[in-house]
Amino acid sequence: MIEFQDVRKTYHLKGVTKTILKGLTARFPSGKNIGILGHNGAGKSTLMRLIAGAELPDSGKIKRNVKVSWPLGFKGGFAGKMTGIENVRFVARMYGEDTERMVQFVEDFSELGASMSLPIKTYSSGMKARLAFGVSMAVNFECYLIDEITAVGDARFKRKCDKVFETKLKHANIIMISHAESAIKKLCDAACLLHEGELTMYDSVDEALAQHRKNQLK
Amino acid sequence: MRMDSVITTQARVIGALVLRETRTAFGDTQLGYLWAIVNPALSTLVLVFIFSSVGRSPAFGTSFALFFATGILPFQTYSKLSSSLMAAINSSRGLLSYPLVNEVDILISKYILIVLTYLMIVVLFFSIIIIGDDAPLPVHIEQCAMGFGALTLLGLGAGTSNAVLFRLWPTWKQLESIISKPLFFLSGIFYVPSDFPTHIVKLLSWNPVLHGVEWFREGYYSNYNSVVLSKSYLLTCALVLLLFGFLGERLYRKKSF
Repeated sequence: MIEFQDVRKTYHLKGVTKTILKGLTARFPSGKNIGILGHNGAGKSTLMRLIAGAELPDSGKIKRNVKVSWPLGFKGGFAGKMTGIENVRFVARMYGEDTERMVQFVEDFSELGASMSLPIKTYSSGMKARLAFGVSMAVNFECYLIDEITAVGDARFKRKCDKVFETKLKHANIIMISHAESAIKKLCDAACLLHEGELTMYDSVDEALAQHRKNQLK
Repeated sequence: MRMDSVITTQARVIGALVLRETRTAFGDTQLGYLWAIVNPALSTLVLVFIFSSVGRSPAFGTSFALFFATGILPFQTYSKLSSSLMAAINSSRGLLSYPLVNEVDILISKYILIVLTYLMIVVLFFSIIIIGDDAPLPVHIEQCAMGFGALTLLGLGAGTSNAVLFRLWPTWKQLESIISKPLFFLSGIFYVPSDFPTHIVKLLSWNPVLHGVEWFREGYYSNYNSVVLSKSYLLTCALVLLLFGFLGERLYRKKSF
C-alpha cells in the first residue's frame, strides 16, 4: 500500500506558482490496478514521481510498504556514452540484481542484438524506449508505475510488451497514467482523478472517466 | 526498511555510481579512465620540467620536483573536488529519477572516485620522484595521509556548498571560478610562508588550503616546522563547509524548480 499524508507540492518558476497537490491524504491500496486521470499539466507525472520517490513533497509524508518501480518509460537515467549493456549493468547493480541475468533478459526482450554493445547516443528513440522498457521489466517490483508508455515500438513489440505485462500483473500491480481510455479500461480496476490540486478516488473506472470527460468540457 | 538494509542499499547505489562514473568520464577514449590518472600526472610533470629547466631552486629541501609535488598534488586534489562536485548534481540530474538515487549518493560517489584517483596520482608521482630524482621518503607518512585526508574533507565541504549555491543561483559558478583562481598562488605551492614578512603570513594563514599543504609538507620533511600550520583551523573550516553543504542539500533534495 502507498499512503499519502497531507502531502503538499507546489512549483515556483519565474514568479509563477503552481499548486500540484494541496494537502493530499490518500491511500493507493495494494492488489488494485489504478489509473490516474487529469488534464494536461494537472500534475499527473509529478504525482507519479512523488509516488516513486523520485521527487520529495514540500511537506507531508508518503509511506510505501511495497517495492515501487521508477516511473516507467523515462530515459533520463541512461548515460549516452555508455553502451546498452553497461547501462543495464548499472541498474542491475543499483537494485542488487544479478547483472548477467539482467543483461540476458534485456537482450532477449528488447531484441536490440549487436546494438547492445554500442553507446546509447547512437540509438534511435524507439531503440531507447525498448531498452528502457526491457530494463524495467527485468527488475521484479511489486508496483509498476507507468507514465504513458503504451506507444512503444511496432505492433510486434507491442504484443510482446502486453504478454510480459500479463505475466507481471499476476504478482504485481500497476499505477498508470494514460490519455487512452481503452488502456485504462483494459488494465485498471480503480481510478483517481487529479483536478485543480485535488485527487478524487473512484472505485469504478467508468465513473472516473465520466467525471473526467465532464471536467474537460468545462 | 531496517537501518542496516538502508545502509547496504545506499552502499550498493554508491558502488554502482562510482563504476558508472569511470565509464562516463572518459568512456569514448581508448585508455578510458586511465586518462584521469595520466592527465594530471603528466601535466604536473611538464610543469616540474619547465620550472627545473629554468633553474628554479626549491624554497625548501634540495629537490624542486619534490617541493613542488608536495604542494601542487594536495592542492589539485582539493580544487578538483571543489569544482567537480559543484557541477556533479546538475550533470547527473537524470539519475535522480531513480528513486534509489539522491543528491548525497551522487556527491559521495564522485568524492570517492576523485579521492581514489588522486591517491593513485600521488603514489605514482612520488614513486617517480623518489626513484628518478633521488628524493627522500616521507618521514611521517601518517601525517601526510592525515593532511591529505583533511584537504579532501575540505574539498567535499566546499564542493557540496558550491553545489547548493550553484543550484540556488547559477551565476555562482562564474563567481566561484574567479574566487578560487588566486588560491593557486595563495596555497604555498611555490614557496614556504616563512619567506614572507609576518603581516603577509597572517593574511595567507586565512586560507585553509595552505594549512593542508603545510600539514602534508610537515609530514613529508623531517625538519619543516611550519610557521602557520593550525590543524584545528583547517578541520573547523572543513566542518563548517560540510555542515553548510549537507544541510543545504537536505533542504533542496529531490526538488525541482
